[in-house]
Amino acid sequence: MNDPHGDAGAATFTATDDGGCDDAALLGRISRGDEDAMAAFYREHGRVVLAQVLLVTGERVLAEEIVQDTMLAVWRGADSFRGESSVRSWVIAIARRQTRDRLRGRRLRVVDDTFLAEQPSSGPGPEVTALDRAELAEVRNAIRELAPAHREALGLVFGSGLSLPEVAGVLEIPVGTVKSRLSAARTALSRVLTEKGQNR
Amino acid sequence: MNTGHADTHLDLEDLIAEAAGQPIGDRAREHLGSCEQCQLEANRWNLVAGGVRGLAAAAPETAQPVRPRRTGQRVLAGPWRRAMVVAGSAAAALVLLVGLGAVTGYVHISRNSTQTSLTAVTGCTRLDQAEGTLEQVNGTSLVIKTASGQPVTVTTTASTFVNMSGPLLSDITDGLTVDVRGSTSNGTIAAAIITVGQPFSAVNPARFVPVQGTVSDASPAGFTLVTSTGTRVPVTTSGDTLVIVLHASLGQLPAGAAIFAVGQAGPDGTLSARAVTAIRQLPTGGRIFVSSRSCSPSSIAAAIALGG
Repeated sequence: MNDPHGDAGAATFTATDDGGCDDAALLGRISRGDEDAMAAFYREHGRVVLAQVLLVTGERVLAEEIVQDTMLAVWRGADSFRGESSVRSWVIAIARRQTRDRLRGRRLRVVDDTFLAEQPSSGPGPEVTALDRAELAEVRNAIRELAPAHREALGLVFGSGLSLPEVAGVLEIPVGTVKSRLSAARTALSRVLTEKGQNR
Repeated sequence: MNTGHADTHLDLEDLIAEAAGQPIGDRAREHLGSCEQCQLEANRWNLVAGGVRGLAAAAPETAQPVRPRRTGQRVLAGPWRRAMVVAGSAAAALVLLVGLGAVTGYVHISRNSTQTSLTAVTGCTRLDQAEGTLEQVNGTSLVIKTASGQPVTVTTTASTFVNMSGPLLSDITDGLTVDVRGSTSNGTIAAAIITVGQPFSAVNPARFVPVQGTVSDASPAGFTLVTSTGTRVPVTTSGDTLVIVLHASLGQLPAGAAIFAVGQAGPDGTLSARAVTAIRQLPTGGRIFVSSRSCSPSSIAAAIALGG
């Protein structure tokens, strides 16, 4: 992809395996006002960004507006991509900032990761066994009841497919904290499942 | 697996990577195949991952066309309206997910089955695709017949990724290295998916445990999987077992199989394929839908291998 005016598709099969150069080339074209490149970028990233934002906000209309704001930010600021992260994590980080801005003023109850990380984790307790018994549909519903920070972390890893270092970059926290947040999310999920089981 | 020993339990990073479908080390995979405790943990994370993916899959295919904002100041201009309409139209044409159906990607390589021959791949400039049934193999070329009855020649080279999948139990023979995924019970794996060769970063269905090894004592009812440590794991198979041969030769492709190829169109209407997948017994009315993370060869190959 040395030729900045080159065709993105033509170079794809001589590129390295990471595939990231295609996205970077798209951003280059977007920065030059190429609407087709913007459309391609949307097709490539729009749905995963929407799914992630929807997971965090739980509100479809709001999530769609945030995605639109995010893509508008990409359109306007494509040349700010420095290649220091994957394009996927870059655009999700933009979406996260847009989400934070839109949700500012709402008080979000976030589980204290530090507290949860200190809880005993070895050996299957009743909450773990609740997870063992759970069906997928129950897990889906339980995830909706998690704190936004937990839904966000789970979504970035399992929905958006980011690596732990990429998640750390998006969330602007250390990798170790990402791990503890994921563990905390699973613990919280198990608790929700346990409570639901007791209420049945 | 911080110490690298096969008898060390998987650490959180490995478990999450496994559930996320990202590659883990050979030792970790080997340990996972023989450690019930780690399998339970992996299953729990797989369940969590499956829940998240389920929610993501339930998200709208694309955002709705833009409507005026409350402020009236930031209505998206041309490119966004256009992008969303285009993406929405493309989504409406998709009919069926084949294979695992859980590949989450963003370059949609699909089309309406009424098209006549080669069509452009959405999102990948200069890439084209062809879809049809396999008529014949001529050396390094395939002749496929499209839904409209038009023959299309697909040429391959040594670098073309060719894979096949379907109920191909007869292709599971002694000595093959395979990855088996399925539910476990009393030390036996009921195989749901058998991948011949090293899988790409995998979409691992919830509650399934992947185990790698060499096939021994193959029979129509199953085989014994011998892991690298010598552990012998009984594997049962059935007509529902999906077999994915990641690197197939053209001669292996079954006649009449559904063929989907991606590559570059030549001036004579042939397709110089970068990747070819053959699916045996594609369900009636079935469609091949592939989503790739990018247009790179590895991404296309991984996506076209049905998440194997």
